[in-house]
Amino acid sequence: MIEFINVSKKFNDLKVLNNFNIRFEKDKITCLFGPSGVGKTTIANIAANLTEIDNGEVKVTENAVYSFVFQEPRLLEWYSVYDNIDFVLKNVYNSDKRVNIIKDYIDMVELKDFESYKPKELSGGMAQRVSLARAFAYPSNVLILDEPFKGLDMKLKREMISLFKKLWNESKRTVLFITHDVDEAVTLSDFIYILNEKPAKIIDYINILEYNDVSEVKYRLDI
Amino acid sequence: MKGSILQSKYNKILIALFWIFVWEIFSLIIDQEIYLPSPITTFYALIDMLKTTDTYITILYSTYRTVAGFLISCGAGIVLGYFCGINKLVYDLFNPLIGIIRTIPVMSIIIIAIMWFKDTNVPIFVAFLMCFPIIWTNTISGIKSTDVKLLQMCKVYNINRLRIIKSVYFYSSIPYIKAGMISALGLGWKVTSAAEVLSLPKYSIGRFLYDSKVYLEIPDLFAWTFIIIMLSILFEKLLKIFLRGLYD
Repeated sequence: MIEFINVSKKFNDLKVLNNFNIRFEKDKITCLFGPSGVGKTTIANIAANLTEIDNGEVKVTENAVYSFVFQEPRLLEWYSVYDNIDFVLKNVYNSDKRVNIIKDYIDMVELKDFESYKPKELSGGMAQRVSLARAFAYPSNVLILDEPFKGLDMKLKREMISLFKKLWNESKRTVLFITHDVDEAVTLSDFIYILNEKPAKIIDYINILEYNDVSEVKYRLDI
Repeated sequence: MKGSILQSKYNKILIALFWIFVWEIFSLIIDQEIYLPSPITTFYALIDMLKTTDTYITILYSTYRTVAGFLISCGAGIVLGYFCGINKLVYDLFNPLIGIIRTIPVMSIIIIAIMWFKDTNVPIFVAFLMCFPIIWTNTISGIKSTDVKLLQMCKVYNINRLRIIKSVYFYSSIPYIKAGMISALGLGWKVTSAAEVLSLPKYSIGRFLYDSKVYLEIPDLFAWTFIIIMLSILFEKLLKIFLRGLYD
């Protein structure tokens, strides 16, 4: 669905991508796995049209509508949980439809009792759940997750991962998932691209669906 | 908690008493009421003033002029500040003008205003012109301080420009506008009094300050100055209470 063809990107003198090629399959979860600083976020930002490329081409095979779960929740502090989701849906649905959609997603992320709370009144995990609800409530067909579970404790991370799976199963979309956490990559992804070096280079590709035993995948990722 | 608030109030009273004591000492050393009246003489002058209706009418008129100048500067500063904050061309267009306003001496503005306006409107115009750049600058700073990450989020979700201005820029700039309004109001009291001294509207604190100087009623001058300080503090507190309701 999204394809990078010979994409190059430089920030000042730092070459982040050089003739980089990658493909994100429709309605699948493709993971970009690798250490910090190899250009994963740049790839996500280019895919979401937030960063312009210097050379090459980004092919989007159909009208892509994006939603994004950033490393930090990026909520409007002056709006409540409800209003933060409403904010992105206003241009898309009429008010009656919005109310139902927002209530459903707030319910799904288990924040029913917190819909009038402001982001400052929420814990980090709760705020990130709002960000997840906002991304799924928005009628996108491409969802980008840039290390969305970073900084969360193990228990919260597991909860968020299962919540993500639940939401994705109900409303499948093309997902570009960035992480450097082996467990997250193995648990969530269909395909994993392992990146390293600078400019970014794909050093391995794993189709998780071909594996019965995830420990083998973990072993490959650990190398 | 209650104890610490009481303690803090007690400390403030003690500090005020200390400075009144210092004032008393200096007035005793100088020993000339015409240069530095004692706190007691000033207090009696104040009490005498508060017994006349004219004092209250004067306070009302001066307050009206300060508040009018302040409110006009807020309206103009915030609206123009928004346009300048979100559009570089508009900013470049107005920046030199506001830079000039900022550097013109207050006295020049007052004298020009005396030639242009009726005496009662001179202080309003001067207060507006002095407060406006503060509000304008703070509004722009607020808009420029908007978190780029929030703007990226808006771009991903295709939020239109008008809603970004209303829901993101506006709220981001509120703390800056609040700070600007508080500084501008304090300045407003000072420049309104100065403009009144030169333009001499019928009911104005400035006229009484001028008369005190002419008739060498220095305790009255001190008492009016005390009234201006108290009004400035009172209105700053009222403004803070009003602003507390807005998002911070």
